Amino acid sequence: MESFANAIVSGLISGSLYAAMALGLTIIYGISRVFNFGHGIVALMGAYTAWLFVQEAKTAGLPLLAGMVVSCAVLFGFGMLVYQVAMKPLMKKANWEISTVLFMLGMGILMENVILQLFGPRVKSIPVFAEGYIKVGMVQINWHELIIIGIVLAAIVLLNLFFKVTRTGQSMQAVAQSAAGAKVVGIDIERIFGLTFGLAFAVTGFSGILLGTKYFMNPHIGWEWMVKGFVIVCFGGLGSTNGAIYAAIILGVVEALATLYLGAMWVWPIWFIIFLGVLLVRPQGILGGRV
Amino acid sequence: MLEVRDINNHYADLHVLKRVSITVKQGEIVALFGPNGHGKSTLLKTICGLHPATSGSITFNGQEIAQSPSHTIVEMGIAYIPEERHLFGDMTVSENLNLGAYNTRAHKSIKQNLEFVYETFPRLAERKSQRCSTMSGGESRMVAVARGLMSEPSLLLVDEPSIGLSPSMRSAVFESLEKINREKGITILIVEQEIRDALKLSSRIYMIKKGEILFERPASGLDVSEIEKAYF
Repeated sequence: MESFANAIVSGLISGSLYAAMALGLTIIYGISRVFNFGHGIVALMGAYTAWLFVQEAKTAGLPLLAGMVVSCAVLFGFGMLVYQVAMKPLMKKANWEISTVLFMLGMGILMENVILQLFGPRVKSIPVFAEGYIKVGMVQINWHELIIIGIVLAAIVLLNLFFKVTRTGQSMQAVAQSAAGAKVVGIDIERIFGLTFGLAFAVTGFSGILLGTKYFMNPHIGWEWMVKGFVIVCFGGLGSTNGAIYAAIILGVVEALATLYLGAMWVWPIWFIIFLGVLLVRPQGILGGRV
Repeated sequence: MLEVRDINNHYADLHVLKRVSITVKQGEIVALFGPNGHGKSTLLKTICGLHPATSGSITFNGQEIAQSPSHTIVEMGIAYIPEERHLFGDMTVSENLNLGAYNTRAHKSIKQNLEFVYETFPRLAERKSQRCSTMSGGESRMVAVARGLMSEPSLLLVDEPSIGLSPSMRSAVFESLEKINREKGITILIVEQEIRDALKLSSRIYMIKKGEILFERPASGLDVSEIEKAYF
């Protein structure tokens, strides 16, 4: 019983991390219909930027939180740049769906190697927010992981507010629901696409930092993150932010339970059996089609 | 007010508009007739910047807009109401209307415009919080027209507003267009298949066929059969 309860909690923790990671992927797809196959590497770029900042800033005494802000800002700029330089012209082409996917994949491989050149192949990890743990009943939870859940929840609430309340957030929703309608009411959709890439890259980088504090990272781990993100957004419904969150939590708990009862080797096969099963029964995912 | 001169436009290799010229004066309602697939809708999309012309000039209040992006054109006061409606299906009626007032000019007078729109379409006032994807064809047409009005246009481009509507709904839509023109002084360029209804509404008509303007006539005293003949 004790190990079951602890597995559920640890599943919820990794689930919230996966949710954060899948959000960036689903935001880009939901609004611009571009599937970011370089997603995992974007997350990794965020993690390495924060790692670099924390290393360099150690002497200055700047905390990880400041590193996260800097890293998100850098990734926001990188997202805007990728849109302006590559996506904007590609999205005007007739076969834009496949060419944008290929570009993002190629960009991922390129950036993976840039990271390898800059930081080397050795495993790194980002220091945790806080040491120690608390015990509630029979469940033991690290302060660090508690803080992660808090940060992810805050990020989800903030993102929801942004989409509901702000003019830019509302126009992003409008573009997601009808790009033609958005043009008709006078929304500059290229500007919105640019901001969307910036926002999604920043959110993705943010999730990479959190992943980097909980797990280790090396220049190639991004592809594993990518596959996880891919399964989550397809399971939750492409383009649906709420769907991605539910799917991430479900798969996080499944992962923890599978590890506990069957061993870690079983996690991927079980994930994919659930994923393929859902696709067969409900190809649009559990909450397909809504941002 | 609107001056379209020698416009050519293409879809891929298809030459859809051939040296089309029309003018619309302040306060007029002008109807655009012609068989399906002969360039009427394309002309509206060309004017509002959704499908910019390959050559030629379009001036609106003296300013050249033929190659301007659609958001600039909306900001200048041209609203396009597409036949396909293009509503935001997962949003409510009032959210759709608020987005209609997206441009900075309309954003300032959002309150008065909402009042006018709800007074013109009382049915929408009853359904403010209904999601648009759950509305009937006639109702979503009303939302599309209302959303266009929220952008505070001086020129309204309306593409086949009556298509697929019941007769009572159709006359409700036509009456609302007339009211918009009469009370707000909004100029209207309308593409319509219901020739009789559109003739009653408009002051002038253009006949477009195979991408060319066939003729232009004042609407009063015009023989419907003359137009119908031109369709074949």
